[in-house]
Amino acid sequence: MLEIHSLSKSYDKGKSFALKNVSFNLNEGDVCALVGESGSGKTTLVRLIAGLETPDAGNIVLNGEMFSSLHNFVPPEKRKVGLVFQEYALFPHMTLFKNVLYGISRQKNKKIRAQEVLDLVGLGEMKERYPHQLSGGQQQRVALARALAPNPSLLILDEPFSNLDAMLRAQLRNEIFEIVKKTGVTAIFVTHDTQDALAVADEILILQKGELIQKDEAANLYIKPNSIYVASLFGNTIHLSQELQSAFKCPLNPKCSHAIRHENFAINEECEHVTHARVIKRTFLGNKTQLLLKLDSGQNLAVFTKDGNVADRIKIGFNSTDVLEFNN
Amino acid sequence: MKRFLLALATMAVLTGCKNEKQETTAASEKSGEVNVYTHRHYAADQELFKQFEEKTGIKVNVINANADELIQKMKIEGEHSPADVLITVDAGRLTRAKDQELLQTIDSEILDNTIASHLKDPDNQWFGLTKRARIVAYAPERVDSTQLSTYEDLATEKWEDRILIRSSENIYNQSLLASIIAHSGEAAAKEWAEGMVESMARAPKGNDRDQVKAVVAGEGDIAIVNTYYIGNLLNSENPEEVKAGESVKIFFPNQEGRGTHINVSGAGVARNAPNKENAIKFIEFLVSKEAQEVFANSNYEYPVNEEVEPAQLLQSWGEFKEDRLNLSELGEHNKEAVLIFDEAGWK
Amino acid sequence: MKRDSNKWALLTVAILVFIALPVVTIGIELFSGPGETWGHIVDNLLPDYLWNSLFLILACGILVLLFGVSTAWLVARFEFPLRKQLEWLLILPLAIPGYIVAYAYAGIFDYGGSFQLLLEAAGLEFVRIDIMNKFGLAFVLGISLFPYVYVSSRAFFINQANSLLEASEMLGVGQFKTFFRLMLPMARPAIVAGLILVLMEVLNDYGAAKYYGVNTFTVGIFRSWFALEEPETAVYLSALLIVIVFTLILLEKFQRRKVQFNSNRSNNRSIDRKKPGRRQQVLIFIAVLIPVLLGFIFPLSQLIFWAVLTFDKVFDASFLALSLQSFWIACLTAFVTVVMAITLIYFSKWSRLGFIKNIAKLGVLGYAIPGAVIAIGIMIPMISIDKWLISFFDRFFNMDVGLLITGTVVALIYAYVVRFLAVAYNPIESTSLKVSNTIPDSSRILGVGNISTFFKIEFPLIRTGIASAFILVFIDALKELPLTLILKPFHVNTLAVKAYEYASDEMVMEAAIPSLFIIVTVMLPVIFLNRMLIK
Repeated sequence: MLEIHSLSKSYDKGKSFALKNVSFNLNEGDVCALVGESGSGKTTLVRLIAGLETPDAGNIVLNGEMFSSLHNFVPPEKRKVGLVFQEYALFPHMTLFKNVLYGISRQKNKKIRAQEVLDLVGLGEMKERYPHQLSGGQQQRVALARALAPNPSLLILDEPFSNLDAMLRAQLRNEIFEIVKKTGVTAIFVTHDTQDALAVADEILILQKGELIQKDEAANLYIKPNSIYVASLFGNTIHLSQELQSAFKCPLNPKCSHAIRHENFAINEECEHVTHARVIKRTFLGNKTQLLLKLDSGQNLAVFTKDGNVADRIKIGFNSTDVLEFNN
Repeated sequence: MKRFLLALATMAVLTGCKNEKQETTAASEKSGEVNVYTHRHYAADQELFKQFEEKTGIKVNVINANADELIQKMKIEGEHSPADVLITVDAGRLTRAKDQELLQTIDSEILDNTIASHLKDPDNQWFGLTKRARIVAYAPERVDSTQLSTYEDLATEKWEDRILIRSSENIYNQSLLASIIAHSGEAAAKEWAEGMVESMARAPKGNDRDQVKAVVAGEGDIAIVNTYYIGNLLNSENPEEVKAGESVKIFFPNQEGRGTHINVSGAGVARNAPNKENAIKFIEFLVSKEAQEVFANSNYEYPVNEEVEPAQLLQSWGEFKEDRLNLSELGEHNKEAVLIFDEAGWK
Repeated sequence: MKRDSNKWALLTVAILVFIALPVVTIGIELFSGPGETWGHIVDNLLPDYLWNSLFLILACGILVLLFGVSTAWLVARFEFPLRKQLEWLLILPLAIPGYIVAYAYAGIFDYGGSFQLLLEAAGLEFVRIDIMNKFGLAFVLGISLFPYVYVSSRAFFINQANSLLEASEMLGVGQFKTFFRLMLPMARPAIVAGLILVLMEVLNDYGAAKYYGVNTFTVGIFRSWFALEEPETAVYLSALLIVIVFTLILLEKFQRRKVQFNSNRSNNRSIDRKKPGRRQQVLIFIAVLIPVLLGFIFPLSQLIFWAVLTFDKVFDASFLALSLQSFWIACLTAFVTVVMAITLIYFSKWSRLGFIKNIAKLGVLGYAIPGAVIAIGIMIPMISIDKWLISFFDRFFNMDVGLLITGTVVALIYAYVVRFLAVAYNPIESTSLKVSNTIPDSSRILGVGNISTFFKIEFPLIRTGIASAFILVFIDALKELPLTLILKPFHVNTLAVKAYEYASDEMVMEAAIPSLFIIVTVMLPVIFLNRMLIK
């Protein structure tokens, strides 16, 4: 449905690339998340798909129509791509209703459709208000309604939750996910937060420094990340260096690198590979406690535990099934 | 996009309309019109134009501007110029227009008979309408009239730091110097200009009225001004100006010799005049007795038509001998005059 | 189309060529050599032109800094009686064109002028103050132009300075030291921006310098074109003047590069003004009142006095028609200039090419070029286009169309647009920068093209910027003299030209009524603008 082939974009005539040789496909009805740190090229990719930027190389095909190539450039207004910006970008001088009506002014039953999408996001009652009279979450939902109104082939939400506080965020995340699922639209959530990505997406794309480094289902990414970088995106990990391997008496394939997640360490429990350590510092973090350990073999190690009330002298270990292995 | 184009189109139409309108007035050859380019913007002139319209049914279209600009414009417009008549406030500019082939020779008995030969172009390309003399206004309590004699005398040491005269930018000064060039040659003229710079009480500034006021204020003893400015001061709405006008006395220089320097405000028919006949009628009307009376009584200028008496005020100053140099010489020596002024340091 | 951006880039360049045409023309004309009196001018007049112009730049510069910065600081920082009224009265000197202030002051200090009457009434001996010289000219131009510096530095003091001031006060630094050590260096870019505008206006002045008998470059350009009849020589003088102007601009750019402050973040909190003691309040009140009196009240009173004396003589139906014409020309100019500024800003933006956006800024340099120079630069190509048009119509339609462009409103408005583009460009650009790019982007994604997006979304959002641009250009066009004198069509007259004609015809008192009409017509939008900007 959406096909991206070897897409590249540079803002400084090729000295560095904001996006480098990115290719992937999406199927009809897929909801995927695009994850990456700031500067990883997420926004560039989104703007290229929307037609707000022109690519230096590669092409974009949506529903079989070539959107962007060296010889053909379809301007954004002709693409039928819906985009919800991070800062919502509602038109401040128009009511909610007019905002939503804006993209469908040439359709027949535009008023009915506008009311329909406003109802869908639960703001049908407030349609005569202006954007500045709404809370951040409400504005977000209006922006979503506005983007959905013209029935886009593809909906992109750029950092939809980043401007919201933690409580609201979880709630809105579910609401919006429900709405998107209900409409059945193919959607891309852009986010730097893996929690968001895991919560909403069937499939996740990871961008790093302009390159697509992994694309997989959410669960697979957690279990089988293809790099330490990906692994660390989904929770704190510890690189298992040669020294740590010998401390835990756990020799691993020297041609690969290995890591283990913090939560997979077990304290004072039986597991395959154990060693003893001394607690040198405890930091209470509310629902968990960070322990700074000095292993008997001499290395320092930081782990997290639910129960910080352990003796100064502990046993620590992990099972080999939890070790993540990456090809170098 | 549509609205944008619409706005552009509206604008184009708006400006286009303006052109068209101008075009019709400009290029029209209707018999009932005369297009006048004039440097004079006095109420009396408006009055006379109206009288002419009533009398002849010919509509007068007036365009007011500085003579230099009018001449430049006529030059640029060339054969497409809508101008019929050019009126300036000095003979020098008319001669310049003639030299640039902007005027044409007019054969009119009325004009020939009315206007003295030195007040018109030898080739009948332009004609004087009103006369003004460049005279001396002095403070009677500080200057004895017997000390006054000629323009040349004013440039001598006797008058050091006592004379007030305006900038050399001014056409009346340029014409005065041109008349001296015509009479005595360039070298003498330059010497005179340099002497005058020595005689000046202050660096030249302001207009003719300001020179008179400066005499009254005691900044200098003598001002060199045109006659009608004294008249205008005496007739001013501002009582202080009237007082200034009353405090000075008038002296006509060079009465023993060639006579006082005069200049004319005059008119010529444009070379490419679309309404030549009307233009001639128009100028003939302006020198007629009735028109000359209006000129004489409104702006304190001397009429060129000798049948008409000057204003009461001018009569009270008495008759004077005028320099009978043909005024076309003023234009011929104008550029030399400008250059001499610059060299003499007359600002 | 391969890239839709190219079309916009081409259009941007086309507009720039249109704007740059006069300057390019002057550059080309230079190759044909100066007129025959060039040597004469270099020997006798050039040193005078150069010296006087430089003197004016320096003297006016000092004066406007003194008046502009001090008043801005006082109204921004202190509370005192009538502060709000004085705050906008300080803008009003801009409503009176410099040359008219010059006439008024000549009248005030004239023999039998208001100053003398005042002294006599007070029983004092009359001391004649001679104002008609280059010192007087510097005073007159300075006092009528200082609001440019006042406005730009006041905006800085009010918007940017609050937190800095608080920090300085917390450190226990006194008011004076805070002002000189902290605020002045910080405010420099804002102050210099206003100062550059003032200096451009000073170099552009013709009416006041001519009347006061000070030979400046602009006076020289008029003299060589009209009195000496050598446009070639006028072009040479113009080129020299452009060199001076660009040197000034480069100096400013260079200075600015050396001093870089990051103070873009504006602070929306309203400023807390200090309320000093009673005696100090009176002193501040007087200090702020003086420039208002000198720049507005005194000249205005003189003009009203004259207007009363000459009302019957000057005021008639044709005068009203003239005022209306003047008004419409200024409106049309403002409209065209604003449209040009908008197209330049948005076309270059839509091109999405960095270097196009940068060169678009060159379009504003017209403001740096004196009106007389622009007039020459436009006259020359217009005439050749006209000659071509005449022969074209003659050959193919056998029509005598006459001069289509030269000496019509088209040439005049073209010149105004070149000169005033910067006046419209800056406020529109700065408001357009406040609109996040994602807003027009959203519109386009919703299926609306560039131009419709502009009219539906951006235009309503930047309309205050557009309105202030319109008003500023309107005011400038209404006041403009030297360019209008050269390019105005004959059937067209403006209030400014009328006032100048009266004054140059020794009817200074009669010039008062057209002057007052200009002032009133300018004052209303100035007040409106101030309301809008302060709000």
